[in-house]
Amino acid sequence: MSMFFKRKDIQLTIVVLTFLVVFIPYFFNIPALDAFSKKLITIASLVNGFTLALAIHSQFRRASNQWRRKSRGYYWGAYMLICLIMMILFGIIGQESAPWHWVMFAVINPLSSVNYCILAFYLSGSAARAFRARSIQAFMLLAAGSIVLLYQAPLTGAVFPVIDPIALYLTNTFAVSVSRTIYLGLATASIVLGVRMLTGREVSFLGFAREE
Amino acid sequence: MVSESETEGGILRFLATIDIRIVYFLLFVVVVGPLLYPIGMPISVSPDTVEFHDVIAEMGPDDIVLLHLGTEFSGWNELSAGSTASMRMLIEQGAKVAIISAHPEAISISPLLYNSLSDVMDANDYKYMEDTIDLGYMHPNEAAVASTASDFHGTVRTDYLGASIEGTFLDDINTAEDWSLIIDIQTGVQSAAMLNHYRVSYGAPIAKHCIGVSVPGAKADLDAELLVGVLPSLRGGAELETLIGAKGPGVAAMDAFSIAHYMLLIFVVLGNIGYFGYQRSASRRTTVGR
Repeated sequence: MSMFFKRKDIQLTIVVLTFLVVFIPYFFNIPALDAFSKKLITIASLVNGFTLALAIHSQFRRASNQWRRKSRGYYWGAYMLICLIMMILFGIIGQESAPWHWVMFAVINPLSSVNYCILAFYLSGSAARAFRARSIQAFMLLAAGSIVLLYQAPLTGAVFPVIDPIALYLTNTFAVSVSRTIYLGLATASIVLGVRMLTGREVSFLGFAREE
Repeated sequence: MVSESETEGGILRFLATIDIRIVYFLLFVVVVGPLLYPIGMPISVSPDTVEFHDVIAEMGPDDIVLLHLGTEFSGWNELSAGSTASMRMLIEQGAKVAIISAHPEAISISPLLYNSLSDVMDANDYKYMEDTIDLGYMHPNEAAVASTASDFHGTVRTDYLGASIEGTFLDDINTAEDWSLIIDIQTGVQSAAMLNHYRVSYGAPIAKHCIGVSVPGAKADLDAELLVGVLPSLRGGAELETLIGAKGPGVAAMDAFSIAHYMLLIFVVLGNIGYFGYQRSASRRTTVGR
């Protein structure tokens, strides 16, 4: 039986059927299919959730291998496992419990905040050493960026309001159009990938290494 | 052996190859200084913030609002001011609010939000379970979001402490179209599922408060009428605080915010002066020397 489900054509058929079950209710109101589609999505979500257990198992194996071989940075693996176990325990005790909130407020909050604020230092370093008008295009980018940066400082708009429409024009036209381009590119690429997967031209996601 | 071009250049060379530690130190000073000793610089209010404010201002006691917290602690630093100001508006207007955490860390952020507004809640006789409910974590994937959009009570039955939500104001919510407004507080792309299933399928109005890098994407959604408002980053939060006359952490951070922006600009300008004065002339000298 397992050999049957390992066949590529069977797996592809299941993929196509699953796609249709989820896709059709977006466009046609078929209550029975819609209900089945939602059940299927929920089942997929739950199965997806269980992959976390697999991830934890993999981390334990990786860290224990590192520890056995005493490979470079092996103690960080142990440290990560300790943190992992601690979070699992606190999570099981309850996410409304004091230990969970202690970890969140006393450990994760400050570490996460520091991690985020380091970006400001990288940005300032880049401003001082990398943002150079090496060409006309770079100059235009710098000029536009400088206007937007000036606008982003709230004091500028208060004392020099004439900058507001210029900066808003730059952000609402150029920045948004680039954003749309990225969105459209992503959407188009997703559709192309989907069609390739459904037609069996992209089968690596099924565990078949060779793509046809 | 030091070449001639490396020894000359003086101030221009210093600007072109400025020691990164000087930049870091100055940034530290201009951020920490105004936070410790606020200057109280005036701030302007952008049209985006006014639009976002007007959307929330329409909410009243008959409205039920979903506050969707899709942020972790790091992003919370940028979004706390706007989120708190939005929640304050809703409390003062008597609108009912349900909070869903769409990030594991956000479970601990909602208590922060309630605590920071406890005096406002007391002053407005705004009570937990009667006027607001924290529903805890909901995985922000397509499946969970689609389920809550089509059958809310089939998916969510208790608040985050396990108390039943039956008999509360959430009885009026069956599908996504029953929400008067969804305020999506985001540091990432989790709102895609909300847009797909709440906005596109049921037409629920969504206003988004996001970090700076997400603003151009959110503006595109705003233009496409997928969103009804966008509150951009910490600056938007400070502007909203100013609009509602409740100055808080957002406004307090704006002195440092402004000065740090000017500092970055000054470094860009000085770096380019150094580049044209030293590096480019040095490279020309090298080319001529060959």
